[in-house]
Amino acid sequence: MVLAILGAVVLAAVANGAAVDRTALAKKQAALATEYGLAKESSFYFVLDVLGRKLELRVRGMVLRSWPLQAMRFWGSPGFAGTVELVRKTTLKAPERIVIKPGDTAEAQPAPAPAPAKPAAKSAPAPAAPAEFDLEALELKDMPKRFTLDFDNGLHVTIKAEDAASRGLAGSLSDGLRWYIGLPLRNLFGSREGKRISELELTFEQGQDAQAIYWHFFDGIKGIIL
Amino acid sequence: MIKRLLIAAAALAWLGLLAVVGAAYFIGFKQAAAWPPEESVQPVAEKDVPKTERSVQQLEKRMTGLLPRGLYIVIDTAANRLYLKEGAKIVREAVVSCGSGVVLEEPGGKKRSWVFDTPRGEFTVKSKITNPYWVKPDWAFIEEGEEIPKGMEDRIESGTLGDYALGFGQGYFIHGTLYTRLLGRNVTHGCVRVGDEDLKAVFKAVPVGAKIYIY
Repeated sequence: MVLAILGAVVLAAVANGAAVDRTALAKKQAALATEYGLAKESSFYFVLDVLGRKLELRVRGMVLRSWPLQAMRFWGSPGFAGTVELVRKTTLKAPERIVIKPGDTAEAQPAPAPAPAKPAAKSAPAPAAPAEFDLEALELKDMPKRFTLDFDNGLHVTIKAEDAASRGLAGSLSDGLRWYIGLPLRNLFGSREGKRISELELTFEQGQDAQAIYWHFFDGIKGIIL
Repeated sequence: MIKRLLIAAAALAWLGLLAVVGAAYFIGFKQAAAWPPEESVQPVAEKDVPKTERSVQQLEKRMTGLLPRGLYIVIDTAANRLYLKEGAKIVREAVVSCGSGVVLEEPGGKKRSWVFDTPRGEFTVKSKITNPYWVKPDWAFIEEGEEIPKGMEDRIESGTLGDYALGFGQGYFIHGTLYTRLLGRNVTHGCVRVGDEDLKAVFKAVPVGAKIYIY
């Protein structure tokens, strides 16, 4: 009798374990199948591993860069299946390319850097160490630390950096209003209209991480969200 | 009287707003309670477990088959770094210079323009050259405000590309540089400039056909 009860308990435990494994197996198969579809192309793609708290840039299944998430929050229905494609990046002030027109009397335009108008990589002796030399070029430091990624399935992902998060009282109020009032209202009325609202906010520890994501994520890049 | 009515209306409006916001927050909070929602992931049926496990193994094998074989190069254009890799192992890391992102517009004439970006994507080493010389394209003269020469011999410049060059297509090369102090900065017209020692090591190690990933 005791053995029978013990046997039943063991069987129940095994069944329970098998049920948990079957869910993980289903997730693993779906994720691998989706990633294989992207990896067999030569294009770069991204993987946002929410539970693993990281965003990765990959090609052919190899991780090129990995950015750990400091924090994440979201609104709406996060059940994404398949791949998403980046439609556009939006930021308050997008970095501008420097345009050089030799022979024009005007200075090179629009130049975010305050250096005098000289083409990059001139055949002139290099001045002091690179760190002190202000170049007319698009570099990582010119990229924004806070921006939005809009995807083809309606997903909005806000990227920001912990060390650049503070925008003063006005910024904090604006953030608070958007997150705690604007999004809930959109969510309420969007649900009535049958529209899925998916908003993700990813915070990275370093500003350079956010800047690197802006640099490496090009319009049309595809990815998967686990 | 009017003042009381206005205060009452304002209070009602405020309560109404709180009610709507509260309802919206409640609905959103419920939806966002878990990641991912458990009901969106259906477990595999027990009878399908062996088939699914085989499928997973097959997918993993296919993914492994996509990886580059032997030595390959990875270039990070944001950080201006070149990595010589074998599998997951970094064999050598080098500080390089990538494209400046500058746009050059031709004044008058054909109104051509060039964007000095290092191309991104998957490439292969197509050629390996020792003591390369530079055949200056039109933009190199336009940039300096010089006339574009008619003869090929007036375009040739030696000594500026270092001792070695690896071509990866469309006129782009990984080559040496005279401006070693600018390594680590985005200063080039699209090619990837490498310091002498690193370039020699990469040139000797990497065969024609090796993969190059630039991102």
